[in-house]
Order: sequence, then structure tokens, then C-alpha cells
Amino acid sequence: MSLSLTRLEKFYKDQSGKSFGVLGPIDLRVETGEFLCLLGPTGCGKTTLLRILSGLEKPDSGEIFLLPGRLGYVFQQGALFPWMNVESNVMFPLKATGITGSECRSRAGELLNLVGLHEFRKSFPHELSGGMQQRTALARGLVTEPELLLLDEPFASLDTRTGINLQEMLRSLCGRLSTTVIFVTHNIEEAVYLADRIVVMGHRPGRIVRNEPLNLEWPRSRLSSGFTEVLLSFRQTFEELVDPSATLSF
Amino acid sequence: MDGMSPSERVTENLRRKIRKLLPGFILPVLILVLWHIFSGSTMLPGPERVFGVLSHPARDLLSCGSLFWNTGVSLIRVVLGLFIAILLGTPMGFIMGASERFRRFTSVITELARPLSPIALLPLSIIIFKDTSFTEVFGLTELKYTKNILNELQIGMVFILAWGGIFPVILETMHGVRGVRKVYIEAARVLGAGRLFIFRHVLFPASLPDIFAGYRMAVGRCWMVIIAAEMLPGTNSGIGYLLRYSYQLSRLDVMLACIFIIALIGLVFSRGLELAGEKWLLLRVRER
Repeated sequence: MSLSLTRLEKFYKDQSGKSFGVLGPIDLRVETGEFLCLLGPTGCGKTTLLRILSGLEKPDSGEIFLLPGRLGYVFQQGALFPWMNVESNVMFPLKATGITGSECRSRAGELLNLVGLHEFRKSFPHELSGGMQQRTALARGLVTEPELLLLDEPFASLDTRTGINLQEMLRSLCGRLSTTVIFVTHNIEEAVYLADRIVVMGHRPGRIVRNEPLNLEWPRSRLSSGFTEVLLSFRQTFEELVDPSATLSF
Repeated sequence: MDGMSPSERVTENLRRKIRKLLPGFILPVLILVLWHIFSGSTMLPGPERVFGVLSHPARDLLSCGSLFWNTGVSLIRVVLGLFIAILLGTPMGFIMGASERFRRFTSVITELARPLSPIALLPLSIIIFKDTSFTEVFGLTELKYTKNILNELQIGMVFILAWGGIFPVILETMHGVRGVRKVYIEAARVLGAGRLFIFRHVLFPASLPDIFAGYRMAVGRCWMVIIAAEMLPGTNSGIGYLLRYSYQLSRLDVMLACIFIIALIGLVFSRGLELAGEKWLLLRVRER
């Protein structure tokens, strides 16, 4: 086991000082090397959960057990540093943790080869397409060979075809490095394609409504009947989720 | 521009640039012509007399030194004042931008001091620093009775220049650091960067365009302050002093030459820094 959450909760206060729950209570276990997809509609607290896991936010109650180790994080819009070229962006996590010189350069070069951006290593983020930017972000997230990789809707802003390419790339990279992955998405097909296990989250406060391993063989085909069946079943779960704040009241 | 060799392209670009700049020169030329026509009937010296002064910049004027000397004195004062303003202002603004606590601690004093004209401090600084120059501070007394540019670097003068320059530097640096998008800082944090690493590799490069804008503003302010300060008691050199002295002797040709030089140097400062900064200001373009 690499990670477990026990009765994790998070509250926010609105302007009048009234606090409301955004998250929890959540109980979750993630095994080492597992590829977990957190699937849920916008605003269900999946990003908050990811931010808590990465240490950017603190939970209000509950316990987190996390094996100590390196962390990788890929943001929704890449969050590449615009003043650094691709190579410097990828080297950033290495330099930040004290790995410099030729080792740093060679490890960044290796990752850039894997994501197919070696010849663009001197380009700046604004000179790249959206897909290439996210590939850079993936390389930056994986360059330290993290024990745990967190991804927050990394492919949401890409077109379908580019998204599919990157999903395949991510899956093979993570398999190679045997990283534990938590992948946040609101795209059901993406989750069914990528995940070893899918955790569906519902609204206000964010809670787990379904937690299920997928019995789909690798390589997966989006056109197989098994795939469509699983997809439909999760779509069904999605249909049943109701956001109380988004319903009309007459 | 198909079928052109690179050299042809360069000349073509140059031609275009000239064509763009040309309309801007119509008014100045017109003014020169009118000035020439009407100067004969007034006490205003014609442009040719002012040009006569400007064309001998190394000649002593009104026994207060040449244009070169006085411009040099003003420039070196400004450079030293700016240097101090940048040296102190940048780290101060940086810490104010990065630390809410430090910003609160310094907020009242900076808000009070910022709108205070540096010229208002001139009498006080003369009282405090007298006319002590840097030669005396560094014990170079044997230079004191020779004509040496260091003798003209009065501490009081440099003090008010530093005062004038430091606030744009502090404020722009602070704004730059505060304006760094949170997602960059968070990205750096989750990728394992510590506080100092984030300061040096995220906050600093991300706010560099603003820091540079602060420097540009400081240069402009200092150039205005030095001219005004030199026209007041406390010095007997500098382009502002020459300007004021030419007024007392009713030498309008020298006065106009001084005005021209002040404008020219102001232009060189702002354009030069703009060009130098474009390399960094490109960051702005990248971010969009």
C-alpha cells in the first residue's frame, strides 16, 4: 500500500462565516504501482483532494498515510515556466532537489526523448502546441522518477485525438517507471481507458460514490465490447449524480 | 519580399523605418525655421547661435566648465544615486512583495515617504551633509584642491537622487513579485523546490519585467531631480547649475544649449533602457 486516507475532511468558510464541507469524509487506499482515476464532475472536490495529497492544502480533519518519497505533479494548464525553455522546465525538479550538472542534463534528455520533444528542448513554452506543452509538463512531472504522480485533468484542454495520444504515452511511461498514479478527470472515457481502478466522486461535500477496479485487459481498445460495457456502466453512475446547487427550483 | 537577397531585405527594412519616422521630423524642422525667422526681432538668440555653443562642447562656458564637464558631473551624480537606489530598493521591494508581514511593517513609512518630493529634502540634506563630497569621505584629500570630478559628487546630492530613485524601484519590484501567478509558485513547491530556490528561480525571473520597468522610471525621475537640485543652492557644477547661471548672466544661447542637452540625455536614457529591456520584456509576450 502506498497511500491511505481515513475520514479526510475539508471545509471552506463563505463570506458570512458559515462553513460548508467541500470534501469528505473520504476513506481511500491506493496500492503501490496502481493507476487510480478520480472521476467526477467539476466542483466535486477532486482537485482539492489532489492538492491535499500534494501538501498544497491542509485537511481540516482525518488522517493521511503516505509513504515518504518523491512526488510528481502535472497541472491542468501545464503551468510551465514561460521564462524557461523546455529543457530548463524539465530540469527544474531535479535542480530543486539538488541534482545538477551532467546527470541533470542527461536525465532530462532521456525524458524528453521518451515524450518525443528532444529536438524542441531549446524552444519556449509559448512556441509549442497545447499537446507539446502537456508532454513537457509530463516530462517535468516524471523526471525525478517519482513514487507518486498526481495529475489534475492534464489533457482536458486538448482535442480528442491529441488527448488519446497522450493517454497512451502516459500509460506506457508510468508502466515503465512503475509509478503510483492518481489521475483526476471528468472525462469518463479517459478514465476507463487509463485506470486500473476508478473512484467516482459526487458533489457537496465531495464524497466517494463508487470505487471499483477495472477488469479490462491491456492493450485496451476503445472499440471493444468490454470497453463500451464498462463505459456505459460508469456513465450510468454519472447520470445519477445530482449537484444540489445546480438544480432549478421553481 | 520574395526573391530578395538578405542585404536587399535589410535596405528595404531600413527604407521602411525611415519612411515611418519621417513625419515626426516635420514639426521640429518647422519650429527651427520659425525660430530662425523670428529670432532677429527679439532678444531670443537664433538657432545658429545655440548650435555654435553646442558645436564646441569642450569649450569653457561662463567660467563654470565646459558642456562636457557639466554634463559629465550631472551624469555621474545620477548614476551613483541610481546605483544606490537599485542596490537598496530591489531587495527591499522583493522582500516586501514576498512577505505580507514585512509589507505591513513598512507600509506606513513607504506610503508617507513616497509622495515626498526629493527636492523638498534638499535643504535638510545640505544641513546634514554640508557640501561634503566623496573625496573627503574616502580620505582623498590631496584631490580636493584639483579640478576633479569626484569633488563634485556631494553626498547630499547623491542622497536625494537615491531617495528619488528608490521608490519606483521598491514599488515596481514589489508589484512584480506580488503579481507572479500563484500556479508557478505552487508548481515549484510540489516539484520539490524550497523557499530560497523559489525566490531565485521563480519569483525573480517572473517579476524581472516589472523590476526593469521600475529601473526605467527611476532613471527618468533621477534625471528630473538632478536638474532641479542643481539649480538650487548646494552645488556649483552640473548641467542644471550651468543652466541657472546662464540665466543670471542672461546668456540665452548657453541656456538653450543646456535645455537641448537635458532633453537629449533624457531621450537617450529612456530609449536606451527600452531597447536594453526588450530582451526581458519579451517575457511579457511569452506569458500571453
